[in-house]
Amino acid sequence: MPEKKTMVISSAEQLLDAKTRRNFLKLMGAGGAVFFLPSILTACSDDDDDVTGPAFGQPAGSGPAVVIDFSRGDVAVLQYAYALEQLEADFYTRVVAAFSTSTFSAGERVVLTDVKNHEVIHRDAFKAILGPSNDFILNTTYGNLNFADRTSVLATARTFEDLGVAAYNGAAQYLTVLANLELAGKIVSVEARHAAVIRDLIAPKSSSQGDSGTSFAPKAFDDAFRPGKVVPLAQPFVVEVLTPRNAPATFVQGPNNNG
Amino acid sequence: MTTNNTTLLDSIDPEIVQTLAKRQNEIANGAGTNSKLTAALALGSIPVALAALSKDVYGQSASDVLDVLQFALLLEYLEAEFYNRGVANATVMGIPAADLPIFTTIQAHENAHVAALRAMITAKGATPIAKPNFDYTAKGNVPGFNFAAGQYATFQVLSQAFEDTGVRAYKGQAGRLINDKATLTAALTIHSVEARHAAEIRRLRNLKGWITGRSRDDLPAFTQPIYDGENNASQAGILLFPLGNNNGGGEAVTEAFDEPLTKDQVTAIVTPFLA
Repeated sequence: MPEKKTMVISSAEQLLDAKTRRNFLKLMGAGGAVFFLPSILTACSDDDDDVTGPAFGQPAGSGPAVVIDFSRGDVAVLQYAYALEQLEADFYTRVVAAFSTSTFSAGERVVLTDVKNHEVIHRDAFKAILGPSNDFILNTTYGNLNFADRTSVLATARTFEDLGVAAYNGAAQYLTVLANLELAGKIVSVEARHAAVIRDLIAPKSSSQGDSGTSFAPKAFDDAFRPGKVVPLAQPFVVEVLTPRNAPATFVQGPNNNG
Repeated sequence: MTTNNTTLLDSIDPEIVQTLAKRQNEIANGAGTNSKLTAALALGSIPVALAALSKDVYGQSASDVLDVLQFALLLEYLEAEFYNRGVANATVMGIPAADLPIFTTIQAHENAHVAALRAMITAKGATPIAKPNFDYTAKGNVPGFNFAAGQYATFQVLSQAFEDTGVRAYKGQAGRLINDKATLTAALTIHSVEARHAAEIRRLRNLKGWITGRSRDDLPAFTQPIYDGENNASQAGILLFPLGNNNGGGEAVTEAFDEPLTKDQVTAIVTPFLA
């Protein structure tokens, strides 16, 4: 028998790392011991930073680079998701904050408030799960978007939700840890529910299909976009420069073959 | 914070840990489940055996992928025939003209999913399962339902039940596709479309597009297994209820994450619909 070894897990981030997990599993198999340091148990933050920082509204891409290094594997994919959830959470927080001047119906306000809650929870969940790897905050910019204007707000919401679905669907193939894939799956279907509902607010009960289709479900298969396609579509809303690094060279297309 | 070590350990792929524990016993008993493992054990090399074991645990086999595809095909057959018959009987059932585009859209998608899954199964050298006969009364749980006059409300109930089930079913199988990226990606692009369908039919029924807690809302009691477990608030081993503070509370925390169902759970839900 090999000697018994021990492993110390000091951050939640390590649990997301395929290498750590492999070692963990091997250690379990060999009858080793694993210790969780107290810091991992307090990874859950209760920060109330509902909106992004003081650089809000600066020109898109005018800030420093925010690097997501895909050589980090699963952690990078979760950072990528965290970045997108930051944008969505910030957007809907501003939408809800503008209710006093906007023309949304009572029912629409309930919907948008729900979506705001879900996106903030997604963002804060990733923040907690990523632990020390959550150390970036994106500042948003929306050009001349009028948050009091129903049509403009819903159009932007649709963009975010459809992009979110395509981003998760396209990034899942880079996840190597089952628990991370499951987590992404739990979120992407909620984003798809949001997308359908927002689209139904814009064009109720529409059956219009295709890239410019207005239906709640404009395609039989949702898009799956690689990070390199998602980032340029998200960048117009971000002050910092979204900088994917070491993005995987290979991307397996979905049925729409457009990612 | 209510997180504890047990929860964290549970979060680390309990299936893998359980499987590993089981395989560890097998090793102790001199058994092997794959050739590399057996060979390593024969050489007396436990580290090599563990490495082979680890790979074996992670590696979903081609038969796994086919099993997922056939299982998905069964669900899509169930949905496609349901909407085919619903749309064919739209006038009889009394589906309003304004609502019909919802169902023709979903109908087209479910038939496209059937065709795609059949093609994927064929491309892997297997034969797609034949479409079974369905009983949309679910063995009498939906008494007398036959796409007949006055049954539009019941049609909507079944639509919601099928779509919400579909979302959870695909989600539950994704892990078995982790090593087959093309199949995984295709399945995920269907999974999110099922979620769009679910949200739309729920809106049509004046419900939220998302699932709150484990509520089946106004659906009949026999559908409860479709919603059981949706009240989970622990993600990646972290109890997320505190994140609901000022953000819709615990209800929003459960709405923000859809939960998977196992194949066995889905089979139990679907079986009454098999004639």
